[in-house]
Amino acid sequence: MADTLNLSDSDRSSSSDQSVTNRSNNRSLRIAEKERRKNEAEDSFVLAVKYFSEVEEGTPVFGNDQLDRNLEVVEKVAFSKGLSPEAISVLLEFAMSLCMGNSPCVRVLKCLIPASVVPQQAVVRAVVWLNVSKIPISTQVLFIKWVLTVFDLIDAKDQLRAIYGFIFSFITEENLCPYICHLLYLLTRKENVHLYRVRKLLELQSKLGRQPFLMHLLSLYKVFCPELVTLSIPSRIRSGFKSYNLPWKSALMGVQKRNGLQVSSSISSAFTVKEKSISRKRKHCHLDLPALSSALNKEPQSDLTSRRKMVPLVQLSSFSQMLKNMHRIELPAQMGSLLGSSLALQYLDCVQEESTLLRLNFWLGCALHEEFLFCSQTSEEALQFLNNLLSVQHFLQEGFSSSEAFLYKFLNVWDGSLLRPQILGLLSNIPVIPSTQIGRLLFEPLTQLFFTSSLFFKCGLMECLNNMLLKWLTWHSVYALEDDLDISLNSHTSINITLSGFKDSVMELVHFVGRLASLGLQLEGCNTLLLSFILDFYETASDTFLKFDLPLVVMPPPGVFYPALLATDPVSVDRLAYIMHRYKLNLTSAKSQEKRTEAFHISRQTFLEFNHYLVFMVNCLWNCRMFHANTDLHVREELLHKSNVPQPWARFDFIHHPAFMSYAVDFHQKCWPGRKAVDLDSIKQSKPWSWYLEYLFNQGFDGLKDFVHSSITKQVTPGDERGDSQRR
Amino acid sequence: MEPLGESVMRTPHNGAVVQRRSKTRSYRRSYRSCLGTTSRLCLTPALTTRRLNASRRAVKPQTLTERVDPAHLALLVKSEWQLSYVTPLYQFRHTQLKSYSKQLSAFIVAERQQGLAVEVSELQNSYRVSLSVLQGLTESENDPETVLIQIHSKPLFAKQDEPQRSVWSGWLTCIQGSPEYLCSLSKDFTCLPLFGSRGPEYLSRVVKSWFQKTFDCCFGPLEINHTSLQWFVALWVDCHSQSNIQHLKMLWTVPAEPPLQIMYTVDPQDAWDLWNSVKKEEAAKEAEEVGCIELEEVSGYLEALKSHFYRHFRLDLSAGILTQVSTALGLAKDTGRIKMSNSRHVIATLTLLTECALLKMPI
Repeated sequence: MADTLNLSDSDRSSSSDQSVTNRSNNRSLRIAEKERRKNEAEDSFVLAVKYFSEVEEGTPVFGNDQLDRNLEVVEKVAFSKGLSPEAISVLLEFAMSLCMGNSPCVRVLKCLIPASVVPQQAVVRAVVWLNVSKIPISTQVLFIKWVLTVFDLIDAKDQLRAIYGFIFSFITEENLCPYICHLLYLLTRKENVHLYRVRKLLELQSKLGRQPFLMHLLSLYKVFCPELVTLSIPSRIRSGFKSYNLPWKSALMGVQKRNGLQVSSSISSAFTVKEKSISRKRKHCHLDLPALSSALNKEPQSDLTSRRKMVPLVQLSSFSQMLKNMHRIELPAQMGSLLGSSLALQYLDCVQEESTLLRLNFWLGCALHEEFLFCSQTSEEALQFLNNLLSVQHFLQEGFSSSEAFLYKFLNVWDGSLLRPQILGLLSNIPVIPSTQIGRLLFEPLTQLFFTSSLFFKCGLMECLNNMLLKWLTWHSVYALEDDLDISLNSHTSINITLSGFKDSVMELVHFVGRLASLGLQLEGCNTLLLSFILDFYETASDTFLKFDLPLVVMPPPGVFYPALLATDPVSVDRLAYIMHRYKLNLTSAKSQEKRTEAFHISRQTFLEFNHYLVFMVNCLWNCRMFHANTDLHVREELLHKSNVPQPWARFDFIHHPAFMSYAVDFHQKCWPGRKAVDLDSIKQSKPWSWYLEYLFNQGFDGLKDFVHSSITKQVTPGDERGDSQRR
Repeated sequence: MEPLGESVMRTPHNGAVVQRRSKTRSYRRSYRSCLGTTSRLCLTPALTTRRLNASRRAVKPQTLTERVDPAHLALLVKSEWQLSYVTPLYQFRHTQLKSYSKQLSAFIVAERQQGLAVEVSELQNSYRVSLSVLQGLTESENDPETVLIQIHSKPLFAKQDEPQRSVWSGWLTCIQGSPEYLCSLSKDFTCLPLFGSRGPEYLSRVVKSWFQKTFDCCFGPLEINHTSLQWFVALWVDCHSQSNIQHLKMLWTVPAEPPLQIMYTVDPQDAWDLWNSVKKEEAAKEAEEVGCIELEEVSGYLEALKSHFYRHFRLDLSAGILTQVSTALGLAKDTGRIKMSNSRHVIATLTLLTECALLKMPI
């Protein structure tokens, strides 16, 4: 201490020397003056601290000007800048040793505002003084309150924990008890919990009654050693310790702010007892997430010493803490409680044990069955529960088997409207079903629901099936690669669904959606909204090979293709063009790879279907040969004649297509502003035609752009009938 | 007639559990496991459909008194039980029952006096709980031993020297549980799917909550459905030759306005004669299955009873549902209450109920 004091003395003199040389400058003079004053203050502070470190025991307090002056200096520094660790050590030692009696002790304690940290050593010494000197109870309380306030700033806690038993012994002092309990709460580790301490606390409890501080400490003991003590906390009890009226708190925060330090977590947030929901009539008892609590009956083989080292999941409050203890985390008594905490979910993601997941599934399955299958009603709790489950599954990127099993049953009794978004969300999470089962489990109930429900349900289901397909394909693309590396090592394991099995399931799903979509569009009069959801699905389905590495391409049925092509809104046609473009890319790249590796085979039928669609599309939009002999659309000659439509074969080209007509008119006006009569056919001239296409592409029809660029090779005028679609 | 409880049930497959444990992480979550067993959160490679058995053995006269402690048997037989189903218990050990007793009694005391902590090892003087194995009450070797729970307590205003009385009792059992299901569970789980309790509701609640917290299981009410009640009718009437059923009483609820409840009582001899007439035809056909009662026989018998009723009262009971069945051998209600009056039929009754409970398992 003395060394540092000398050092700052010499610092002062050197800086004052400097100030003399810089006298010429007024500004620097002012700075120097300031510096000097500051140094003077520091100087007096150093002297004051020195005084407290050297003052002899028994020095009179009254009439001691020196003491008063030094106290004032210390207080001033403490409340403005805070005290250094060394100063705190000195002052705490001075106060707790009752060197000059109680009154300066209290005054010193009240101004112990740390600037940075509090040395543990000083606190430990002070605690020892508690027992040695005859400190009045009120002062003892003040001291413990101070320790609680600065607890987070104490630089280490190992030595404090080492004297846990010593601190525990103060618990019998009635006035100190609440504060000691709080301090113990902050210090307790598993190894501190012993039967004799439990008994002591219970004895106190019988004397003092239901005291919150005893309850909180005991509930912490229960977390560590549920085999020693049990306790149920009434739901109306507020969680956490009372936040006392602490004199240092505001001053401490002020000092820390001024010093630019991060304001450390206040003591009340050092722990959190989970807030219980307001007790109400429990109709849905199965929907309450169990609270995280430590397991009572551990595996019998784990002996006592290894059990001591385990950390209950409840005790972890941050991700870094969890990482540190990853190898020795003790699972809670009820696995269902993991769903309530985001931290626990992180851990669940790493859990490998099957029985752990089975426990979770039993709980979840039971809750779902009891609340939704055996007595289904909608309520705020049910909604919240399912939303929570959805977000958990979203986080884990997997569905639980119990929710899957539940859905297969629930779909048979569902009316399609109860909790629709949630149920559809859960449904989209179900994993791949073998193609032999998929019809019975999924398609039968869904078909019934689809055809008896509103348009919104149809759209919702389409979205759900799209998500399902997307997840299946993603699983495949992620895990198929790993498997290639692994399969030789584990060739002895039986493979119950092969790649072809997976392909079958995906194909079943896409065909199923094709059937639903065709009929759905008919039922709903080719509703644009429904069509949009259907095209979403085919956007996924068209990219199975390139995006997800699955050698399977399934074309949409005519019931989807034609309504989209002949739709009255340009967006649908544009999206169809994009989908056809993607199909083309997938098919060409699959074909070239097929030739090279011969690992898979894409059905010839698929290519035929694609070419068929492509030819029709090009003929219709580009070549004005819509009613060509070998197309799907057969309209009798007489009927066309009867309709009195001029040039019926050209009614669906880029100019006359109902979706693009308005663009054509607009283009016509811009191209020939002078013309009164609109003659759309004039766009078909070679030059305006290419301008028109450019104009369309600039309207944001990227799908059309891609389609035209990839499928139509010769940029020729449509009238020439020489436009060619590329074929394979 | 209502179709049998058709619920798709997925059972965990043991083989897969063992296989997957040996795998490396990458492989565990790899393609095969993602497809084969659907995903790592799913442990069910095969979808199996489980239904209520369509055929069961007729009750053999069993002398349980030789195997089971008569005191225990008397406890089981004398009273009416409220039934629940329980999912498999995690880390339950039949050897730890003593320590469970202590924990449970401390738990009850702590629940009763909210906010006051209780030492677990201490002997509670307000509640004495004993968990014990009900020796001998098993049928097949897969069945875990039945566990009996008894809670003794002094009445509120009891004299000092008054002894504690039994205030609540319950049991967890599994009689002839589906071996396929039982074997599919890993060793960490003990499957005792049928829970019966008798006593104040708050104690049932506390006991259930302790089991949930300690063994991570779930409880749900077990109703005895229409079909199961019909089975009880047949099983009990079939016993008439061994022990007099005295009467056959059936309570039907008919959906009329106002709701109509019909108590249909049949003379025991008439019931027996009718049963024989229904049964004989079947038995003649399938000689090899002697001693088994088929579902067709049960439904045929019920049809006959209904048509008899119709002849007399012009009221078709098919429109209603059976809500209660009772004979001198026992009583079963659709709300999940059961009374077994004769110790010789305890096993048969519990076998049927175990089956119902297993059907309720979520996975």
